[in-house]
Amino acid sequence: MIVLNSSDGATFEVEESVAVQSQTIKHMIEDNCADTSIPLPNVNGVTLARVLEYIKKHAEAKDDEEGLKSFDAEFVKVDQASLFEIILAANYLDIKGLLDLTCQTVADQIKDLTVEEVRAIFNIMNDFTPEEEAKLRNDHAWAFE
Amino acid sequence: MSQLDFNMLPEDCASTICSLTSPEDACRLSMVSSSFRSAAESDLVWERFLPSDYRDILARTLKPLKFSSKKELFFLFSESILLDGGKQSFALEKSSGRKSFTLSARELSILHGNESNHWCWKSLTESRFAEAAELKTTNRIEIEGKIRTQMLSPNTTYGAHLIMKISSQSFGLDCIPSEISVNVGDNVVTNTAYLRPKDETKQQMQSLFYANRVQMLKMRVNEGDERLPVERKDGWMEINLGEFFSGAVDEEITMSLMEIKGHQLKGGLIIEGIEVRPKN
Repeated sequence: MIVLNSSDGATFEVEESVAVQSQTIKHMIEDNCADTSIPLPNVNGVTLARVLEYIKKHAEAKDDEEGLKSFDAEFVKVDQASLFEIILAANYLDIKGLLDLTCQTVADQIKDLTVEEVRAIFNIMNDFTPEEEAKLRNDHAWAFE
Repeated sequence: MSQLDFNMLPEDCASTICSLTSPEDACRLSMVSSSFRSAAESDLVWERFLPSDYRDILARTLKPLKFSSKKELFFLFSESILLDGGKQSFALEKSSGRKSFTLSARELSILHGNESNHWCWKSLTESRFAEAAELKTTNRIEIEGKIRTQMLSPNTTYGAHLIMKISSQSFGLDCIPSEISVNVGDNVVTNTAYLRPKDETKQQMQSLFYANRVQMLKMRVNEGDERLPVERKDGWMEINLGEFFSGAVDEEITMSLMEIKGHQLKGGLIIEGIEVRPKN
């Protein structure tokens, strides 16, 4: 069993065979940095719990394609902030399947949206000058037809 | 915790997200903000939009391509590029990155194509290839092209189109419809098409004098849609030969047009090639 410590002090136990879905944890174990527990200062407790839910399910139901598909679909039905936390965690822990799943979810949300709609969803400021914006629009005119 | 700002995502996460949209979306996303732009224009994104065999395609180009980013290469590929010494041309569909190929007339099997009393080969300014084939005279038109689905984008329905036009001195091309087909392995799908639309006055004359003969000849041809050539943007016409699905298994596609059941002599058909492109 491997012990993981989240940034806010929560402790989680998980089987090594499941934990190695995270390439980061796998390397730490291989490099013998995992004797007592592994500190994960970049992931909070709530997010780590979710990530573990994902990797546990994917370990135990490995061959059940249909089951995993519906699990994944339900798994990403979370608010935007939580989704981003999971993306950050999946990136840091280097869990390819989870990263692809969560990134695809965000990608599906922003496909076919206008520039203004994307800014609104993510609360992003337009930091281009009018000249820069005009040039960009000109270069990519075909994408706005 | 307050709402997570997109700007807090590391650039490669933002790039991964962009790479899972489409080339069209990525161009729009690069206009959202400067950090989005940096993520959306990265090589990580555009490498994903390029076909997986883009290096092989680069090795086949007639002229070496100069580019300083994968995005630039993508857009170079979206304009028609000559491959294999100019025998084929290739292009990517801008919005989706799907591939199209055009086989030049030289790449096709044309019955008697190398016999100068039947077909001649001309350099035309409006052709993208070195030569187009012009029919002088024959009573049998048999044109065939082949392509393997592994060259194409997977999971895509493709249409095959014969790119052609008719010279001002053509004859015998509107008598009866041609038989067209697209074969996937052993699965054959046939149809019919006219090489040129009928001239109204000529039709009336024909029905006056030759009604029976034309009827009789036409009855030899299989049933079909009797498609007509359609105008293209590049000044040529095209005939839709049929469609096929490019799936997981590599298959050979054979596309053909034959007019062999009308025994009249025909001439004035000019062939540019066969284009295989994704169906919208």
